[in-house]
Amino acid sequence: MGRIVLNNVTKSFGETQVIPPLDLTIEDGEFAVFVGPSGCGKSTLLRMIAGLEDLTSGQIEIDGDDVTQVPPSKRGLAMVFQSYALYPHMTVRKNIAFPLRMEGMDQSEIDKKVEAAAKSLNLSDYLDRKPAALSGGQRQRVAIGRAIVRNPSAFLFDEPLSNLDAALRVGMRLEISEMHESMKTTMIYVTHDQVEAMTMADKIVVLQAGVIEQVGTPLELYHTPRNVFVAGFIGSPKMNIFSGSEAEKLGAHTAGIRPEHIDIDLSGGTWKGTVGVAEHLGSDTFVHVHDTALGDLVTVRIAGDVAVKHGDTIYLTPQMDKIHKFDEQGLRV
Amino acid sequence: MTNRSLPRLLQAPAVLLLLVWMLVPLSITLYFSFIRYVLNSLRKPEWTKPALSNWRGFGNYEFVLNNKDFILAIQNSLLIVCSILILTVIFGVLIAVLINKTFMGRGVVRVLLISPFFVMPAVNAVLWINMILDPVLGLQGLAVAGINEVIDGLRNLPILGGFFSMWPELEPISFRATQTSAYAVITMVTWQWTPFAVLIFMTSLQSEDQQQKEAAVLDGAGTWSQFRFLTLPHLARPIAIVVMIQAIFHLSLYAEIEIVSRGNGNKNLPYLIGEFANNNIGAASATGIFAVILANIVAIFLLRMIGKTLMD
Ligand SMILES: Nc1ncnc2c1ncn2[C@@H]1O[C@H](COP(=O)(O)OP(=O)(O)OP(=O)(O)O)[C@@H](O)[C@H]1O
Ligand SMILES: [Mg+2]
Repeated sequence: MGRIVLNNVTKSFGETQVIPPLDLTIEDGEFAVFVGPSGCGKSTLLRMIAGLEDLTSGQIEIDGDDVTQVPPSKRGLAMVFQSYALYPHMTVRKNIAFPLRMEGMDQSEIDKKVEAAAKSLNLSDYLDRKPAALSGGQRQRVAIGRAIVRNPSAFLFDEPLSNLDAALRVGMRLEISEMHESMKTTMIYVTHDQVEAMTMADKIVVLQAGVIEQVGTPLELYHTPRNVFVAGFIGSPKMNIFSGSEAEKLGAHTAGIRPEHIDIDLSGGTWKGTVGVAEHLGSDTFVHVHDTALGDLVTVRIAGDVAVKHGDTIYLTPQMDKIHKFDEQGLRV
Repeated sequence: MTNRSLPRLLQAPAVLLLLVWMLVPLSITLYFSFIRYVLNSLRKPEWTKPALSNWRGFGNYEFVLNNKDFILAIQNSLLIVCSILILTVIFGVLIAVLINKTFMGRGVVRVLLISPFFVMPAVNAVLWINMILDPVLGLQGLAVAGINEVIDGLRNLPILGGFFSMWPELEPISFRATQTSAYAVITMVTWQWTPFAVLIFMTSLQSEDQQQKEAAVLDGAGTWSQFRFLTLPHLARPIAIVVMIQAIFHLSLYAEIEIVSRGNGNKNLPYLIGEFANNNIGAASATGIFAVILANIVAIFLLRMIGKTLMD
């Protein structure tokens, strides 16, 4: 079980309010991802849920119980830190066993649980090593193992993969998703990474300056962003957002079109421009186009490989049904 | 010249200097320890010059071993060094952990805490033995007299007076006496060197990983468990360093012992050497060789015990 409800929580450090009043519900078994620009309060929010940071006001409930005043260890949550936070003087075995030992569990039972966790995380061969003798990925697994053995009602992850290299990140991402599928435990996951957010989440929470801009499934956010900020934040490469006369022609104050929803042609189309940089990824080509009627640089994503190069003149045509329109307040219309 | 021998050649002056630095005094001490050599002798003026013709073999060593103060000096050296090590490490860890928390005026408290370390050893000894530990004029004397006065007053109370009159009169302890002077030395050196330990432990505590602590909090570790399982292992290396450095320093304590009791009852090896060196250089050198051996035994012992944490 692990239904987490935040009621009107706020957080101030001294005079500065980092989190204005905020409400959020995370259902039992849900995989919720917090995304947002750096410094928007993702970690703070997570630490408040964990109990590592006091609330300035408001209330947190876990499974219907008010835990606002409950100390971190009694909340039944486990946290995995970006820096792993392993205990450097203990072996892997002792690290994983630590929370159980603190509970005062029998040694034989501890051994059983540690062995089981190590087996599920492929750590059996490393149990007697110290963390310093492990690779980044193995360390992160130990940190996850230490969280699993506690059998928590929810897992909290604060950018757990950002210290790993790209290939390892993909692997660990799958493992964590796999873990969620098999355990069905609530997970809250903070990340910077678009792909992690889109692929892992049941529900994405987009934050800006401590304010929730939108909550929804990954595809909801992709197809119907509630405002300009979410539109620009979700999706990679970024949506092309423009205002002024071209937007007014479409009947909006501000309009946006994703790079993958623009077609190109060499002879004619809606907007004329000059190719700047063309990034050929093989599967896709990202073309950055200057000097269009939209003003800013426009990014276009074309499937496959197209032969355009720097300085070419090019015509862009948006797919009209994929255009997002926003009003003066930046809200979707 | 191979490219190995060039670096060796360049290092040679430094190595040579170190060798000379160590070997010359050691050889001279060894040489003196095997001859009869005194500063002053009316009966045997030929002994006042070091010469091979005054060869005494192991005679000086026998003389030292048979001296009634020798075993006592070794015991005292060990007692003083070990006590100081244990006390400074315990107080050092406690104080360092205490002032690691942020509180008002922490900067001032830290500076004050470090200050005993900048007092000269001789001054430190004079202050302690005359102003604090003196049984009449020192703080100790005044405190004991004060307590006695209070108890005296209580004896006149109507009912409880009977209870208080069963209490004995407190006697101030004289720290210049044979049995207690070593404790005075231990107290004052501990006071002086605890700041050193605090300083080293404090810097180490600041490099302690805060996320580890938070992880431990979530894992259900209380304050004591965090200290026992995270902070103490984290401090293992600085503790080893503090123990090593202090062991080297305190084996050669001299000023404090001179000032507290002129060696009365708490001579250590350096003090005994000093006494012999008033006249009998041969015996002083032999004691010096014993001191070198003792220092090596202590060093090997410490390296065995602590070296592992340093290598880790
Ligand atoms: N202990 C603190 N004292 C004062 N301000 C703090 C403290 N911790 C965080 N802040 C401020 O709170 C804001 C939110 O910080 P937080 O660490 O939650 O951001 P974040 O969204 O996790 O950023 P990132 O993605 O870079 O990790 C930041 O502006 C930060 O400066
Ligand atoms: Mg963060």
